[in-house]
Amino acid sequence: MSRYVIRRTLQAIPLLIGISIIIFGMIQMTPGGPLAVNENTSARGRVTEEDLQRLREKYGLDDPLYIQYLNWSRDAAQGDFGTSFNTGLPVLTMIGERLPTTLLVMGLAFGVTLILSIPIGILAAVKRYTIFDYLTTSISFLGIAIPSFWFAIMLMYLFSFTLGWLPSVGLSDPRADHTGLAGIWDRITHLIMPVSVLALTSTASITRYVRASMLDVISQDYVRTARAKGLSEQVIVWVHALKNAAIPIVTVLALEIPDLFIGAVIVESIFAISGMGRLFIESANLRDYPVLMGVLTISAGLVIFFNLVADVIYGMLDPRIRYT
Amino acid sequence: MTGMAEQQATISKLSGEIMQEHRSLWSDTWRHFVRHRLALISLITMVVVASAIIVGPFFISYDPERIDFAAKNESPSLAHPMGTDELGRDQLVRVLEGGRISLAVALAAVSVAMTVGVLFGAVAGYAGGWVDNALMRVVDVFYSLPGLFILILLVTIIGPGFLTIVVAIGILRWMGAARLVRASFLSLKEKEFVESARAAGAGRVRIIFRHILPNALSPIIVAGTLGIAGAILTESALSFLGLGFQPPQATWGRMLQEAQRSVLNDGHWWRGFFPGLMIFISVLSVNFIGDGLRDAVDPRRIQQ
Repeated sequence: MSRYVIRRTLQAIPLLIGISIIIFGMIQMTPGGPLAVNENTSARGRVTEEDLQRLREKYGLDDPLYIQYLNWSRDAAQGDFGTSFNTGLPVLTMIGERLPTTLLVMGLAFGVTLILSIPIGILAAVKRYTIFDYLTTSISFLGIAIPSFWFAIMLMYLFSFTLGWLPSVGLSDPRADHTGLAGIWDRITHLIMPVSVLALTSTASITRYVRASMLDVISQDYVRTARAKGLSEQVIVWVHALKNAAIPIVTVLALEIPDLFIGAVIVESIFAISGMGRLFIESANLRDYPVLMGVLTISAGLVIFFNLVADVIYGMLDPRIRYT
Repeated sequence: MTGMAEQQATISKLSGEIMQEHRSLWSDTWRHFVRHRLALISLITMVVVASAIIVGPFFISYDPERIDFAAKNESPSLAHPMGTDELGRDQLVRVLEGGRISLAVALAAVSVAMTVGVLFGAVAGYAGGWVDNALMRVVDVFYSLPGLFILILLVTIIGPGFLTIVVAIGILRWMGAARLVRASFLSLKEKEFVESARAAGAGRVRIIFRHILPNALSPIIVAGTLGIAGAILTESALSFLGLGFQPPQATWGRMLQEAQRSVLNDGHWWRGFFPGLMIFISVLSVNFIGDGLRDAVDPRRIQQ
């Protein structure tokens, strides 16, 4: 098992290198390059040609592309993603400021997904062809098709504009008292809508998955044996059946995390939350290459990491799979 | 004598049950598809939406770009079923016009994705060996790209145009098709009919496209249909972030983005409700059509 984990981790390295090469190539396709913004201002005489040349030398922009990539990857491997063209701050510092916000929204959405989808999916499978099953299956179908940004705007219209119950912008009210319970309550009210929007799609798809995977298991012989032994329905479903149904579910849950990360971009944009998504869009508009490279590489790393986690958990949970 | 006639009738009845009338694969698929009620309703819905989008604007006397300050910010009425915006433009005709771009982008992007995916998968599956291995690693790399980020990057860098958006969505969605086609090719290329084609002197290209590909099509068609739903959502998300098509061109996502302030500050709910509803209906219908197709082309279904 540990050999398998090590081998898979080693396999992830060339994957990450391949991805960073593709991302680097895409970013370099920019017409005008990173100094385009400054070049426009130079027309108005504020930045001289000498200034631009100095900047190019400072960031090594005159080097051939592969040299630039090698320099970047050498530093990145040592945990140095360079400094932002825009703010002059280290990229990792900028990401470090934004990442906790994104992780908070994501983590809560993931929690909501877990709490809702697993029991609902199991109940729908156990009570197959009942009203509960039809209702949850239809709602999850709707939940998958609903565009999250539309859902968000309609929620905001209802709860912020019409009812005035929930704030629609940011993660906290700057005018509010941020001490004690009032501060916590302020945070919670700000988080309710973004987290619900982000959790909706994943809850809908995971619920369907849990139901399907549970149905698969419930019709198997060993479940019938358990029933024939006279075990209670509760024990059969929640102990015997769930153990095997959990194997594919855990995998899908791990794969859902990168999707939540991407979904957070849209949610952050709607609710004006300054997380990784906003950082990325701002940097793309400013052509802040180092920040773009940093955000993209870390996101890709996240995808690869959770793929790995999914595979490893799969192996641990399913003793039928033997890795060599 | 009656016994004879009875026997005759029984025989013909039984033989009628055994002898199945000949049906082509596609008419068979269609017969099963129409039995899937939701899929059929969805197909009808999509046909209605598509025809409204294509011919609708010709029947509405409002010009989508015409500004009419006398009729600004009107809520839905008989004259303007979806209301008007802050410039007094009719929302219905703008939603229909916007649908043209939204659906055209989705269809084109899926065509790009399917073409790339099929070629990639066919070559990998047919060649096998190290070629297969190398191509599948490329698929792995693309699978690990953070999709929406890359899309935002490409569109910001190259600039938002129809072709850019289509290709950008396409190159982020071809991997599923490539894996499906590769899997079918790996098993199909060992079949006798391929061997016989090779013995008859057919070239590699002919074997791939003429003999193997038609047998590998059904999963691709299902994947492609479901892919359209994803592409509609992706384009809308991109436009919603303000990075897709630029005004005055309206797509559903773009209209939602423009409407955001008017819905949340002035309570003009119709501005956001209808464009989003169209995205929702289209995605839902396409998902159901894909589901129906999947059931209809599933070979296991015939044995049941």
